[in-house]
Parts: sequence; structure tokens; C-alpha cells
Amino acid sequence: MSGGELTRPPGPAPKRVRYRLDADDDPRSAERGLAALVLTIVELLRQLMERQALRRVEDGTVTDEQAERLGYTLMRLEERMNELLDEFGLEPEDLNIDLGPLGPLLDS
Amino acid sequence: MSEDSGVWAYAITEEGHLSGPEGPVDLSWLTGVGEAKVRTVTSGGLAALVSDVSLAEFGEAALRENLENLDWLDEVAREHHYVIDAATRLFPLLPVRLATVYTGDAAVSAALTERGGQLRDALRRVGGRVEWGVKAYAAQHEPEGPNEAEGPDEAKSADADGEPAGGSAQPRTEGGVGLAYLRRRRAQLTAARETKTAAVTGAQEVHAELTAKAADARLHPPQSPQLSGVRQPMLLNAAYLLDAAGSVAFTAAVGGQATAHPELRVELTGPWPPYSFVGGDDDGR
Amino acid sequence: MTDADLARPDLTSAGYPAERVSLVDLLDRVLAGGVVVTGEITLSIADVDLVVISLRALLTSVSALTGQDPEAERADRR
Repeated sequence: MSGGELTRPPGPAPKRVRYRLDADDDPRSAERGLAALVLTIVELLRQLMERQALRRVEDGTVTDEQAERLGYTLMRLEERMNELLDEFGLEPEDLNIDLGPLGPLLDS
Repeated sequence: MSEDSGVWAYAITEEGHLSGPEGPVDLSWLTGVGEAKVRTVTSGGLAALVSDVSLAEFGEAALRENLENLDWLDEVAREHHYVIDAATRLFPLLPVRLATVYTGDAAVSAALTERGGQLRDALRRVGGRVEWGVKAYAAQHEPEGPNEAEGPDEAKSADADGEPAGGSAQPRTEGGVGLAYLRRRRAQLTAARETKTAAVTGAQEVHAELTAKAADARLHPPQSPQLSGVRQPMLLNAAYLLDAAGSVAFTAAVGGQATAHPELRVELTGPWPPYSFVGGDDDGR
Repeated sequence: MTDADLARPDLTSAGYPAERVSLVDLLDRVLAGGVVVTGEITLSIADVDLVVISLRALLTSVSALTGQDPEAERADRR
């Protein structure tokens, strides 16, 4: 029977997002995909720690020595991240996860 | 209509538009989805452009599955758009949403009759008008992730053992390497944030300026980098409704906005049939 | 209807013919735009729970179809 009414979608429908780790059977590709996932999380934490450290340094809630140590540690962390990227053949751009409507995980 | 075929709808127009001073408009050359010939179904002074489709491919179950196949969707969406785009150059029309498949001509007629008033209103509003798409991305700039460290190499050429001795809690402090790193990162983050803010503000200004020059405007969700294929974030994804005669001035205005906003990269698409302005869910929006 | 010859030296345009239109731009319009005139139809796209089949697929269109207001989303993003 022709309803003639406009059908609205019945409320927010569940959206299933499948994140495909790799498009081919190359085991290295799967490994790289997994590494990208893991390193994205690591990089997220690194960036969060860095911003937190900067905030505390600017608030003046750490001593100069503590700030120096924080900065040094963060610098080494960044170096290590670059090494890990090299080891897995990843570029910085490969580190990111699209959370759909929430946008990408990493800023910029 | 046989049990095996349905009717795919492309567009709706007024029946009067289908004939001109020289007789009926010739649509015999027009083919659509599945290369089926496009024909018309009329009712109550309105006409729908349709074609026959096999329910094996376009029936409910098959359609659900096929719509999830990007290659299938790509082909069908282009075939659908081709018909609308070709017809909109011949007469004013309302594009129909993709994958509207009726059980038969009778169902099409009934739909036209029931919604006749609203369809005519919509035709008055957008018929003969075109849509221009404007997308704006943040202009290319330095990324802020790892690999950004162009640190003073002399600091890093210190031997590999950088671990502080246990207990003393004092890392090497050759000239405040750590503090220098923090200063550099702070400068980078601030610059990145200011650049981003400027770009977002710029996109808002562009949208306001262009909206003022158009009959109507709609915002689409910005496309993620995976969708757009562009690394920089998309800050504006808008559609603007123009009279056909206003296109030249409008596109010039878009060019002007692009020049006035170097913090953005502006893309123009169009002219489109007025897809974004037919208000699928309610009327008069 | 004008096929205006437009001088757009700074801009990319992906207009007619349809083959040159980007799929994502097209899907933004044909999936979330156009009139929805239901009646005795086999299936309206509004009824379809579109599953994202790969990262290159229809996240934005899905959100439009499920009744979320893209304009509200945009406002939130700003």
C-alpha cells in the first residue's frame, strides 16, 4: 500500500566500522599494519605526555632540573619513535586511526 | 511489470516540461542503470524519469548487499547521476535519491500523486537552479609529529648512553639540551595551533561570504583524509544554490575567496544538479 | 543552464562529464541528497544500515543517513 509518507530512518542506526589490517596476504604487511596501530597509540601517549610536560614547565610547577630532565626524556622518546618507524618501514603519516565521526585519533 | 523487474527513479519534473514548442523532448537516447532505456511515468501533472531494473540485482535483499560493494556503488551512482545531469540540462527537475526502486509504474504514479503538492513546491524552489560545491583544506604546512626534531646535532652526538645514572637523577645537561627541546616543541605546537585556528576561521569566513552570494547553502560533513585522499584536514565542505545565470559571478567570487585566504586551499566542483537542496527529510528547508 | 567557460586558474574543478567527478563528492550528494519519495518501493536507502566496507567508504554519508544532522556535526567540529 502506498504510504506516501517520507520514511525516516528508525533512529540512529548502528554503524559498524571494519578496520582492515591489510589488503593482501603479505605477512609483513599485516605486521606493519599492526605496528602502525600500536605505534599510533604510543605516539598518542607521547604527544599527551609532551603537552603535559610543557604545561607544567610553563606553570612553573617543576624545577629547572626537573624540566631539563623531562625535556631530555621526551627528546629521547621522540628519537626512539623515529627509530621504530624506520624499523617497520612506516612514515609519520601512517600513524593515525580514523574513528569515523570522531575524526582521526591524532591531531594534525 | 513482471515479478522480476522493478522501476528505478532518477528525477521528477513537471509533465509540461516534457514537451516543447517542437514536440516532445527526445529522451530516447538516454540510458541509465544497467544501460536500460530511460522512460517516463506521469501522474497528476508530474512526471518521473525511470528505467526498469532487475530485482535480482535491485530487489531488497540484493540491493542491501550491493550497496556495500564500493565498485558496484561507484558504477551505479555514476549511471544514476548521468541521467540526472543530462536531463537537468533539458528541463528543471528534482533529483531523486539513489536506489529508490518502485515495485512498478503504478507505485510511481501513486507516489507522485500523494506527494504532488510538496514536489511542486520543491520544483519551484530549486528547479532550474544549480549547485556549486566548495571544499577548503588547510593549506600545506609542517607536520608536528615525530621526525620534526631537527635538533642541534651536537646534542645528539653525545654517546648513546644517555640514561641518567641510577639515583643521581641528573641527565646530561650539556647546555640544557632538554630545555632546548622543550622550547622548540612549544614553539612548534604554538605555531601549529595558530595555523590551524587561522585556517578554521578562514573557512568560516569563506562560507559566510559565499552564503551571502547564493540563494541557499548547505554544509556537508567534512571528508576525512581517508575519504578525501588529502592529508590536510578538510575545513569546509559546502554546497551553494545558484540560478544558472549566476554561476559565472559566483565562481569568480570563489576564486576571490581563495586568493583572499592563503591559509586555505580551495576546491570548486560543479555545476551540479541541486541534489543538496531538495530536502529529503522535510520540505521547504 | 550554462556551461559557462569559467576562468578558475587557482581552483580545481571536477565538473562534467560525470566520469571525472570524484566518487566521494558524488556519494555525498546522491546518497544524502535528492528527494526521498517512498511508496511501494522495494527498498529505500534510508532503510539500509550501510556497513563501512573499507577505510575508503561511506562514513560521512552513513552519518547523514542515520538522521544525525551534518550541520550539527559541523558546528561541533568547530
